[in-house]
Amino acid sequence: MTGALTHLGSFFNMLFSTNVALAAAEASENAGHAAEGAEAAPGIHVVLKAEEVFNLAGFPITNSLIMTVITTVLLIAFAYTVRSKLAMIPGKLQAGVELLFQGVLDYMAETLESKELARKFFPLIMTIFLFVLVANQLAFLPGVGSILVDHAGAMVPLLRAPAADLNMTLALAIIAFLVIEITGVVVLGFFKYAGKYVNFSSPVNFVVGIIELLSNIGRLISFSFRLFGNVFAGEVMIAVALFFVAYLLPVPLMAFEVFVAFIQAVVFAMLTLFFIKLSIMEPHGDEAH
Amino acid sequence: MESLLDAFGIDVKLLLAQLVNFGVLFVALTWLLYKPVMKTLDERAAKIAQGVEDAETASEKAAQADENAAKVVKGAETEAEGIVSSARDLAGTEKSRIMKEAEARAAQVAADAEARAAETAAKALRDSEKEVARLAVLAAEKVLRESK
Repeated sequence: MTGALTHLGSFFNMLFSTNVALAAAEASENAGHAAEGAEAAPGIHVVLKAEEVFNLAGFPITNSLIMTVITTVLLIAFAYTVRSKLAMIPGKLQAGVELLFQGVLDYMAETLESKELARKFFPLIMTIFLFVLVANQLAFLPGVGSILVDHAGAMVPLLRAPAADLNMTLALAIIAFLVIEITGVVVLGFFKYAGKYVNFSSPVNFVVGIIELLSNIGRLISFSFRLFGNVFAGEVMIAVALFFVAYLLPVPLMAFEVFVAFIQAVVFAMLTLFFIKLSIMEPHGDEAH
Repeated sequence: MESLLDAFGIDVKLLLAQLVNFGVLFVALTWLLYKPVMKTLDERAAKIAQGVEDAETASEKAAQADENAAKVVKGAETEAEGIVSSARDLAGTEKSRIMKEAEARAAQVAADAEARAAETAAKALRDSEKEVARLAVLAAEKVLRESK
């Protein structure tokens, strides 16, 4: 088994002219040289941040970034396939896509109480959902995390779940945050929207406004860390299970992680939708009291 | 804060890369997937609405045509009835007229015949009177001759 993996490693070595190995082979190799130091000890490979695989003209290409690009390319290819087969009488693929779109659009129209707004925000919500979903699910493919490449003397995984990198989740959170706030300003007008947060009508309202402002900014953190935490924790859990019992035990855990990956995609998209709805709601002001 | 960002590997370059990546994906999916699919959905919805509307107007038209046909049939029936009854009336009056005429003619013919018979009888009487007179004259002459 290890022999085959070593062959595969040399194949990758030819391709990328860099040292490529597989985690299992690496572990057994390291076990042989355990004396070399704590760094090389076999064990669970847990790193909080995405590691740099290679450097492109000063730009660090991390393993998560590679997966992100793969996800993007796959999704665009999928979109292209669907569009090229688009017809008035739908095929199976088109029918599925239409069912999903129609369902999401109806739900959005219900939530936003406006078909027009639902149409406007549909691309964003759908892209968030599809991107997070596909990115999370791709991370379960064999090879993600187990194919190692040599970078600056250390063996690092070539691929890593995109959402297990805070850069990716934070980028999504920033986009969601900006869209939510800008939508509020555009729909309500700047002063009305700002009046939701800076309100001098009474001390209570002032404090409530400040708390809301803080919770709005807190969304950046909650959005990014929720997704990152779920995916990263899932990876660690599976890695630990693999370390203890390599066969069968990880199966239910992975099944659960597949579910979590889907749920997180839904949660991210839905929360974005709900916060958009919150930001465009009229401030409940004086008439309520 | 710096060490926290470092611990999570936050890098402005990577963050920007991820933002650009999502932006590209967003634009590509919007143009390649959402717009065409939405257009197809809209077109189909419009087509279905058109179809339903067409069916409604068609059934309305059919109902109207049915009504029209019924009306026409009813009109034709009453008209036919009228024609038949008027024809019957006409036939009745004609019949009585013809009968009256025939009766009149028969009466006239009878009267004519009677008159002619009466005339013939009168003529015969006159003729016979003349004959009787002549015979009487002859007889008288004979008697006179014998007595001579």
